Amino acid sequence: MTVDVNSLEPGHPIPTWSRKGTLDHWNRFAAVNDEFAGHHMDDEVGRHEGFGGAFIMAPFSHAYLHAMLREWLADEGRIVTVDMRLKNPLLRGRTLEAGGHVTGVRREGDEVFVDLEIWQIDDENTSLGTGIATVAFPSPQD
Amino acid sequence: MTDETMITDEMLALVDRPMRRATSFPIGANEIRRWAMAIYYPEIPPRLFWDDDYAATTKWGGIIAPQEFNPFAWATKDPPLSERATAGRPGRWGHFESVFGVEPPPYRAVLQSRVIANYSPVRMRPGDVIRSVDRISEYFEREGKMGLQLYTTISVDYFNQHDEWIKRLDTVFMRYR
Repeated sequence: MTVDVNSLEPGHPIPTWSRKGTLDHWNRFAAVNDEFAGHHMDDEVGRHEGFGGAFIMAPFSHAYLHAMLREWLADEGRIVTVDMRLKNPLLRGRTLEAGGHVTGVRREGDEVFVDLEIWQIDDENTSLGTGIATVAFPSPQD
Repeated sequence: MTDETMITDEMLALVDRPMRRATSFPIGANEIRRWAMAIYYPEIPPRLFWDDDYAATTKWGGIIAPQEFNPFAWATKDPPLSERATAGRPGRWGHFESVFGVEPPPYRAVLQSRVIANYSPVRMRPGDVIRSVDRISEYFEREGKMGLQLYTTISVDYFNQHDEWIKRLDTVFMRYR
């Protein structure tokens, strides 16, 4: 699906992204990122560290935001910045949902830069994080 | 507010000193495929990350890596694995200061509290050799739900074999007792 860059304005929502919080998902990321910390694998370790159980890797949460933006951009645009403040980790057994909306659009050179507010919550409506992102599209022909 | 602090003068003297330099092995196309499959599981990733024939028809002319791809996972050309066997992995799991021979403050856990990624238009591709330099760029503290929380920002710049800047990651780690 192609994004109509000329129609983008503040408030425009982008499609949401959702993934379950399971060891099936996290073990795959651990395998590619060599990230086998106990708190991502073992509920007991997560509890020892003050959480309700095992929880997702922060770079994986961050990567999900990239994937969400890519789904929207398709092969047209590029990600410029993703800045995420992590409030609570996604716990094992919960489901993550990520989304965002446009806050600004500006044309610079031959690209259109789009600023966004982004967020992640779980299925109990716990805020997992909030942040900002910027993406760039090739400037459409007038 | 207490005068308690986990930050020492010895730690402050480490700020902005190059902490680690690394050079990746040439990126393998299958590393990119596996990364994309992990990120998109259980869905199929975009073809740009795994389908040579499709990727050849795009403006990229071939497979590229997702921007968040980590070319340094598992093993690096430099430092080599043999060095890890003798020196371990200093700096891993929050022991940042130990890279400089400084004892880290005692802590129960380390978490990432903020991740900022800035990207250039240059993408990582199969065959690229990536080098990085990282440093401690900031220390600060806050009282939070885990008590006194020490925040340490690690900044890492990535460059390819043509000395083109690819990305910068600023990761804020929180340590607490």
